[in-house]
Amino acid sequence: MNTSVEFLKGTLDLMVLKTLSWAPSHGYGIARWIEQCTGDVLQVEEGSLYPALHKLEERGLITAEWGISENNRRAKFYRLTAAGKKQLAASHDSWARFADAVFKVLKTAPTGR
Amino acid sequence: MAEHYAPGATRAAIWRRYLRFWGPRVVADVDDELRFHIEMRVRDYMQRGLSEGEARAATARRLGDLATQRAECLTITTRRERRMTRAQLVDALRQDVRFAFRTLGRQRGWTTVATLTLALGIGANTGVFSVVNSLLLHPLPYPHADRIAILFQEPTLGNQTGMNVMVSPRPSLVRQWRESARSFEDIEAYSTTDMTLVPERGEAASLHIASILPTLPTFAGKHVLIGRSFANADLTEGGHVAMLSEGLWRGRFGSEPGVIGRALSLDGSLYTVIGVMPAAFRLPASQQNATDVWLPLDMHNEHVGLMTTARLRPGVSYDAARRELDSITKRLDVSEGNRVGFRAKLVPPAQMVQFRDSLLLLTAAVTLVLLIACANVAHLMLARAATRHRELAIRGALGAGTGRLVRQLLTESLVLSAAGSVGGLVVGWLGLELLVALRPASLANLDEARMDTTTLLVTIALGVLTGLLFGLAGAIQSARQSTHESLKAGTLSTSHSRRQNRLRGLLVVSEIALSTMLLIGASLLVRSVIRLQTMDPGFRTEGMYGLSIILPEKAYATPAARHAFYAELVTRARTVPGVEMAMMAEGAPPMQNFLIGALQLEGQPAPPAGTTGFINYNGVEPYYFREMGIRLREGTTFSDTSEKSDQVMVNAGFARKYWPNGSAVGKRLRTVFNGQGEWRTIVGVVDNAFTSGLTMEASQPMLYVPYQGQFQPSLIVRVTAGTNAIAAVRSLMPQIDRHLPAPDVTNVEAAMRDSIAAPRFTMLLLAAFTLLALVLAAVGLYGVLAYAVAQRTREIGIRIALGASRRIIARAIIGQGVLLATGGIVFGLAGSFWATRFIDKMLYGVPRGDPVSFAAGTALLFATAMAACLVPMRRAVRVDPVIAMRAE
Repeated sequence: MNTSVEFLKGTLDLMVLKTLSWAPSHGYGIARWIEQCTGDVLQVEEGSLYPALHKLEERGLITAEWGISENNRRAKFYRLTAAGKKQLAASHDSWARFADAVFKVLKTAPTGR
Repeated sequence: MAEHYAPGATRAAIWRRYLRFWGPRVVADVDDELRFHIEMRVRDYMQRGLSEGEARAATARRLGDLATQRAECLTITTRRERRMTRAQLVDALRQDVRFAFRTLGRQRGWTTVATLTLALGIGANTGVFSVVNSLLLHPLPYPHADRIAILFQEPTLGNQTGMNVMVSPRPSLVRQWRESARSFEDIEAYSTTDMTLVPERGEAASLHIASILPTLPTFAGKHVLIGRSFANADLTEGGHVAMLSEGLWRGRFGSEPGVIGRALSLDGSLYTVIGVMPAAFRLPASQQNATDVWLPLDMHNEHVGLMTTARLRPGVSYDAARRELDSITKRLDVSEGNRVGFRAKLVPPAQMVQFRDSLLLLTAAVTLVLLIACANVAHLMLARAATRHRELAIRGALGAGTGRLVRQLLTESLVLSAAGSVGGLVVGWLGLELLVALRPASLANLDEARMDTTTLLVTIALGVLTGLLFGLAGAIQSARQSTHESLKAGTLSTSHSRRQNRLRGLLVVSEIALSTMLLIGASLLVRSVIRLQTMDPGFRTEGMYGLSIILPEKAYATPAARHAFYAELVTRARTVPGVEMAMMAEGAPPMQNFLIGALQLEGQPAPPAGTTGFINYNGVEPYYFREMGIRLREGTTFSDTSEKSDQVMVNAGFARKYWPNGSAVGKRLRTVFNGQGEWRTIVGVVDNAFTSGLTMEASQPMLYVPYQGQFQPSLIVRVTAGTNAIAAVRSLMPQIDRHLPAPDVTNVEAAMRDSIAAPRFTMLLLAAFTLLALVLAAVGLYGVLAYAVAQRTREIGIRIALGASRRIIARAIIGQGVLLATGGIVFGLAGSFWATRFIDKMLYGVPRGDPVSFAAGTALLFATAMAACLVPMRRAVRVDPVIAMRAE
């Protein structure tokens, strides 16, 4: 999937928002969740996750609070805001339509041949 | 994701919020976050069976060094934190202002009193500052006015007039200065005179003429409206060209452009009109009459006195310029054989402004008024802070920090002072209008006072400053109070109230001290003006007029021609019905004529070469003293009035100064100028008289010489009240010579009265400001006592219940008032002894330590203070013990 990394950058935000829609989580948790969901197919470039998180926080789509993690360490927990939820819904729809369209192209064989 | 649920989140959030108080720790936070990620990853690898070393190596491979990402996170978060802080501040400010408005609106009475006090204090300053700004800070509407100086010379030795004498430099010297002085960009000279315009039709008119150099319009930064300005060639061609003023052109010539090229007949000579100058083009002296016609100046005519104004080169000091001028003067004096000692004097235009000293005094006065107003509002704030004590304590307990509460109180003061500033602008504007409307005729330049952007900015600055000043007092006081204490106790803790009372006492004492100073200053001026008004001028002014007789040099070139004219004039004037007396004199009062020369008494060595003196003098007829009503004390009046007469008379001040123990009659003296001077014999001594105006000392030495009709003499007449004789006398001149205009007439009685108009005006203004200060101080004292009574109601109630008589209660309250007033008065008296030196030169006939003024000021203040005690005292004695003790 190395060729898809650039393409996936734009979708990282969407995946983060989706992940946080289940529950608040710290950065590592988000990375692990995406890993687990996609198996080996989508490996998040872990370093770029943090700038993405901070940018989302700046845009007001998520908020952060410091808390204590499951292994009793100080960790920064992110939570989806109302604006984030709205953004997620909008992105979700447009992404689904986009994926659907791409998929149609890939699936459809030319008839005139 | 449930595994990520954080049970300790809330606790940590509080801890975090606490850390936030010290500002965002962006770097540490980002590092913590990334480190947490690394640790978690390592832990995961170890759980999968890797050793710690292997796990760390694998993590490092997987994540890289993270430097770019870390920097990116830092940028984003720092930016975000900054924006948030700003938003929080704006939000807090908006909250504070809204809250301030609500609180102030709830206490309408309190807010009105405070705003009004501030408006009066700020308004007085705004009004006076507008005048100072227009007159003193911008005295000349010329470019680079800050480098302009007016050039005079002053005698180095021997000034006997008792006045600050400055003379205009002679034309040959000005020419030399213009040629040689390098300290100046330009030196301008001009002279003024009056000339008679004889139009083709209609009556002759007397016009104000200014002769100027061709460079003056450039110096002043002004251009002709139409036509052209003077050129150097105009002088070489005889100089018979003229420029009209805009006023004359619009009035007499109906704004006609065709006026250019026309001939103008002035004093019998014809001038060609070449241009019209705008009304804004003015001579560089503020009290000069508006000029009607501009002529080119002939600097080679040694007989005209020149006024000189110059613009210094940037960076040249007054002192350096003066030294250069003096060295040029010395060279010229040596080459001309001049032995008179003068040194140059450079005067900034602002110093030439009439009313300058009064304006400075009034500025000081309104500053004191503002301080008193501030102290008063600070009181009000304190009193209110006490009643809001519980409110503030509750807010403090609910989490508002000290800083937040102080900011809230400061915001309230600033909102209040903003309202005060707006009120102040209105008060200032009204005051300025009133000032201009009530100004005496002699202070015409007050009309130029305007409110402008500078005034506005100064008012705003004053508002903010006062807001901070009185606001801080209340804010600090409130912030100091212990929240815990106030909530626990229903009433104020004693230690707190004692501290607050001390501060309030201090405020009231300073208010009273400042008022005392103002009151004593005003008393001195009032006494001085009363003295001026009731003073005997030393001669009979009733019905007296002075007419200044100016004969054109050309038509009356010889002394014989002039004398014939004067004799005819006097003879005809005496025949006019209603004229009781008519005589010629060199000057008519109020006048200031000087003889230039060093005084030498017989038997004394000649004054050192180079000494110059100025001696008040007048040339008069032998019957002058009888007609004026000036008593002859000793000797006789002039018996020889011929040109060769060596007779002289002196006033009592002269005789006492030089012959304190003997008679002056028969003594001989001379005035030495340039080594020359005829000896004269004193034939008589007369009483002192205020012929120079009431604000001059009558006892200044004065010399009288027989009238010779030398320069521009005056016709002095006395007419019977209620007759129109003076108009008839005035028309005599054109009757004798139809080319002459009717002369300018001075009503001596009115002019003598006018000579004290400026001091009286200053006194009235100062009295008004003092009254304002007094009222404010009284309100302040009243406030403190009323508050004290309210605070002690319970105690008073108990004391009455225990049998204390009402008299004892009253005495306690009055005693407190007396204590505060006395404290303030003591400081005020001390301040006055020091400060009165600044008004010394505005006092006439009253010493600055005048005990009557000090006593009157103190007494008036004390009486006011006692009046302010009355209401609180009555409230105290009427306390009903039952009600007082049931309350709380």
